[in-house]
Parts: sequence; structure tokens; C-alpha cells
Amino acid sequence: MFLTRSEYDHGVNTFSPEGRLFQVEYAIEAIKLGSTAIGIKTPEGVVLAVEKRVTSSLIIPSTIEKIVEVDSHIACAMSGLIADSKTLIDKARVEAQNHWFNYDEKMSVESVTQAVSDLALAFSDQEDEVYAMSRPFGVALLFAGVDETGPHLYHLEPSGTYIEYEAKAIGSGSEGAQQNLQDIYHKNMTIKEASKHALSILKQVMEEKLNATNIEMCTVSARDKTFHLFTKEEIEDVIKEM
Amino acid sequence: MQHPKQQTTNPMVTGTSVIGIQFDGGVLIAADLLGSYGSMAQMRQLPRVFKVNEKTVIGASGDYSDYQFILEKIMQKVNQDYCLNDGYVYKPKQLYSWCTRVMYNRRSNFDPLWNRVVIAGLEDNQPFLGSVDLLGNAYEAPCIATGYGNYLAVPIMREFLEKNNNKITEAQARDVVDRCMKLLYYRDGRAYDKYSIAVVTRVGARVEECKELQTNWQVASQVASYD
Amino acid sequence: MFDIKTDTRKMPIEHHFNPYEMNGGTIVGVAGEDFAVIASDTRLSEGYSILSRENPHLYHVQPHTVMGSVGFHGDSLTFNKTLQIRLRMYEYENNKKCSTPAVAQLISTMLYSRRFFPYYVNTIVAGINNEGQGCIYSYDPVGSYEREVYRAGGSSSALIQPLLDSQLGLKNQGSFELSRSYTVKMSRENVVALVKDVFTAAAERDIYTGDAVFINIITKDGVFTEHFKLRRD
Repeated sequence: MFLTRSEYDHGVNTFSPEGRLFQVEYAIEAIKLGSTAIGIKTPEGVVLAVEKRVTSSLIIPSTIEKIVEVDSHIACAMSGLIADSKTLIDKARVEAQNHWFNYDEKMSVESVTQAVSDLALAFSDQEDEVYAMSRPFGVALLFAGVDETGPHLYHLEPSGTYIEYEAKAIGSGSEGAQQNLQDIYHKNMTIKEASKHALSILKQVMEEKLNATNIEMCTVSARDKTFHLFTKEEIEDVIKEM
Repeated sequence: MQHPKQQTTNPMVTGTSVIGIQFDGGVLIAADLLGSYGSMAQMRQLPRVFKVNEKTVIGASGDYSDYQFILEKIMQKVNQDYCLNDGYVYKPKQLYSWCTRVMYNRRSNFDPLWNRVVIAGLEDNQPFLGSVDLLGNAYEAPCIATGYGNYLAVPIMREFLEKNNNKITEAQARDVVDRCMKLLYYRDGRAYDKYSIAVVTRVGARVEECKELQTNWQVASQVASYD
Repeated sequence: MFDIKTDTRKMPIEHHFNPYEMNGGTIVGVAGEDFAVIASDTRLSEGYSILSRENPHLYHVQPHTVMGSVGFHGDSLTFNKTLQIRLRMYEYENNKKCSTPAVAQLISTMLYSRRFFPYYVNTIVAGINNEGQGCIYSYDPVGSYEREVYRAGGSSSALIQPLLDSQLGLKNQGSFELSRSYTVKMSRENVVALVKDVFTAAAERDIYTGDAVFINIITKDGVFTEHFKLRRD
């Protein structure tokens, strides 16, 4: 089985006879090596929580950044090849600002995700062609935000597919975490509840012991429609209540 | 010697007024056959109204070579349509819109096509009459005239249409157009007494044989300083 | 004796082509509490001739938004077409209709994109915003814009604006209070009546305004139109 693959996985734009793009599938595999990230949508807003792998005590943990602000009302968490996310986040930020510039309103979460997904298949291994990338990107993104239609959580993967979720986990611990999310999720969750759930699920799937420095967390609240990245103290408060 | 970019910044061989009027069940346009080179009446058999297809006719005043350029472009499109053989033909409004875009783009590149184009035809059994000028200015109206016709013919046609509640017969339209062409021949120094009509009705479009105006110059000798 | 000035032979004579023309037309916009009124005359002029007596300068661009555009008619037509394309793209990209404030911002950036070869147009946008309020935006040809309570634009703007200042703005009539409201308190019927009056007045003195007024009344239920005859000379 692996033999048939290797014949059709050299060119990034070559279909296998069964109609598969192996390089894209491998890219999706790459995400499963990444650290776990969790997103939960509630009527009060959206929570994102990610683990950071602090592999050495000499690393300054605050420099590992896996949750970023796209616009004041949209956050993004990531898992996989974090370097690849830089191009995508840059695109998301530019699109969001451009939308504001042209229309004097906040861009919707779906439109941002859609704009970023345009980059997903903008790759080619042809040297003479001008493309954004030479291979599929190896990162999955969770876009969390609040727009005029309420809170939203989108998952975008290297194939360019994006799907809206009530709750979603990506990365190495995603399988277990997704099952956990399914068990605990209910539609009337408060944002505080969701924060606690996110951390307790993260705690279960993380290899290291969860503490305030080896995770990151943010909310986008439905009330003020603003991104808020938790401080170390705020994370500690949530951990205490878990 | 440096040459600045060549553009049509003034017309060479020109055609004067084109007039057009809608009637019940169709529309017609008329233009004389003169191509003027400045004040010289150079070409006297120059056709200026053309059939585009069974639904559309076109006419233009201004630079004749620019007009030929537009016509050539249009006929290329018409031939492409014909070759596709799918029964589709350009309708007057589409051609009018296309002309507006071409004229506007040329003016925006400071390289205008020095014309005022009149497009006439039938669309959904309704008469259409529209005009586009060298700036990309475009409008539709029940009667249109370019050049001196705008001053001399339009008031006559408008009055006639208003008197008849915008509902006139083809014969009435032909009569008022003939009167207007005659008036233009008398008063416009670049006009001519031979003209042709292009007409679109439900039957189709056709350009008619040239007509000669029946004029009367008896009063000429009475006019002071004429001789 | 017959020498020709050498400098005249150095270069061929350059003619200047003027890509602009003033085709006249007047627009007036008034924002009410739950409605907006925008009106234009229907005359299209070229020099001293009237090209058309039935050419309104209003463009219904969205269900609750109408743009009025006067000046160079060729630019008005082109700008409107480009705007329609942009609005359709907006719908595809954002799965919703473009709101009046969003249309307003878009028009500003579109006008500014031609900063160095401007669209020679006076623009007024009227509509209902997301709060259901009537709103009016007015522009200069290169996209500088502002939300306003009422505005006249085009060939009769200098005749009509002072009249609106008096009748709607109640300027210099005893009260020096600064109004912070973006809408007039007048009823829809009175605004429409006032608009008819100001156009009648303008048509009396401005040769580029006349024939008829085309009035659009925009409410949450959509756009209603009204015709009113003006002098035709």
C-alpha cells in the first residue's frame, strides 16, 4: 500500500489514480504531531486553549505563541508547523483590516476563514510559477470570534476545507479530547464553564503536567466582541477552580 | 525631433449629424453620405448607417476612420456570433453597453474615438434608441440627434413626439426625419442632400437605398451677400 | 522676413483633449428618524442642449441604499457599474447584503482609488442603517465623506443647501444649540413636500436642473418612488 503512495506523492499537484492528493493528506498527518488545541463555542462567547510544549527549562515559555489575535473580535489557535501559520495569520489580519478599510465594519469570522482558506491550495512545485507556497501548509487553525451573527468557531485544515464547530480539538491529543468535548458539551454552557472544561480536557491529554506557564488561553466574549488573552494569574484562577 | 504619442486629438474626415427616432413597432436612424475633409466636401458616397444584425443598426458622426475602427470591432463580434451558430445575436442594449465601455476606456487612456455613436434596434419588441459619445457619455431617448442635429432636429422631433404622445407611425417617423434632414442640409454647412436610412422593425433590420432631398433654393437670390 | 519661429517646428502641435464634461443635475438627500429621502432632477444636459428629460441621477444599489451621482455622466455610469460589481462580490464573500454604512465606506475608497484621475462626480448616499435610522452620506469627487442630516449636491447645490439650512437645520433662528442628532424630526410627508419645493425653486434659476424630480423614499420596507413635474425650459 505504501508503494502505490510513493509513486504519486512526489508532485504536490498530482492526483493518485484513486483520486487522492497525498501531499495534502500528509500535511493533515503533520498536524497530528502538533500540540493540542481546543476551542469551545458558547452563547456567551468562544474559548480557545492550547498546550505549549516547553521542551527545555531554558526556554522562555512566553515566547511560544500559539494563540494570536487576528482582529479585535477574532482569535486564532493553531497546531502543527507553527512557522507555516505565520503566512496564514498574516493573510487573515490583512483581509480583516482591508475589510474594515473598505466597508467600515468588522469582517465576519467565516469570511476571514474563507479568505485564509484561499491560500490552502495556492501551492505549486513548479519553479517558474509564482505561488504563495511550494507545498501544502502543515498547520491546522481554529478561528474563534464574535460577529454580528454571534459567536463562531471554525476549523481550517491544509486541504482548505473549513467547518464550523460547537467544540473542536486539534493536534496530537485531538482524538481523546474530541471525545471528551462531545461528552461534556451542552448548548447553554457559560464561558466560565467552557474555560474550565477546556483546561481539564487539556490536562488529560497533555504529557506534561498542566500549569499556568505551559498553556495559553483566550476568550472572545459575545458581550463586548473583544479578544482577551488570559494572563498567567487569570489562568491560575481557572486552574484553581477546576 | 521627439514625437509625442499619436492620438486622435482632432478628427480628419468627418461625418455630420446622425438623427434617430422611435416609432410604434420600430426605430430608424438617418445620416447623409458626406465625408468632409475640414470644410471640403471630399467623399460624397460615404455610407454612415449600417446594419449590425437583424435586431440592430448603428450610425455615427465624427471621425470616419475611428467609426470604421468601431464598426470593424463590432463586425468581428457579429461574425464570431454567426460562426458559433447557436442562434444568439447581440441585442441593441448589449451593443450600446459595450460601446459605452469601449468609448469610456479610450477616453480614460486619453486616446478617444472621436465619435458620437447612435445605436438603434428592437429588443423584446420594444424600440431602443441610444447614443454614446467620445467621453463615454451615454443616454437613451425616444429621439436622438448628434452634432448640429442636436440643436436643429431634436426640437422638431421632440415636439412631434410630444404632440402624438410618443406614439407615431413609421410613415410619420419617415416624414419627420426627411424634414429634419432637409433642414440640416439648408442650415448645416457640412451636410449633404443625399442620405440613407437604416430601419429596424419586427420584420428585421435593413439599410435603404440612398435618398435625395428635394430642395428649393429660390429664396437664395434674395438673401443679402449670397452670390 | 518669412522666417518661421524655429521653436514652433521642434515639436508637432499638441492638442489637449479634455476627458471631462459637466452634464448638470441636482440631488438632495434628507435623513429622517426611520426613513431617508433622496431626490434628483431628471435632466441630462450637454452645454446648452438637453440630451434627455427622463434621466434620473439615482442608482438603487442595495435593498435599503440609493446612491445619487451627478457631474460628468460618463463617470457616473462607470462608477455605478463598478460599484455594483463590488457589491455583488461583497455578497459572495460575506453571505449578506452590504449595509448602508458599508456601502458608504466602499464608495469613499473607490472614489479615492482614482485620486489622480478623479471621477468627476458629486455623490450622496441615502439609506437605512443597521439601527433602522435614516442616514445620508455626502462625498467630494475624491472620496472625502461625512454622515450628514441633509445635503444638496450638483448644479443647484449652492441654491438649495442654504434653503435646507434654513428649513431643516433651523440655522441662525434664535437657538444656538448644537444639534447632535443625525436625523431631522420632520415627517416623511413634510420632507417630500419640502424637496419638491426646493427643486421647483432651483429649476427657476438653474438651467441644468429641470424637467422632473424623481424622489426615492427609503424605509425598512424598501424604496418607494414618486414623480413630480418641473419646468422644462
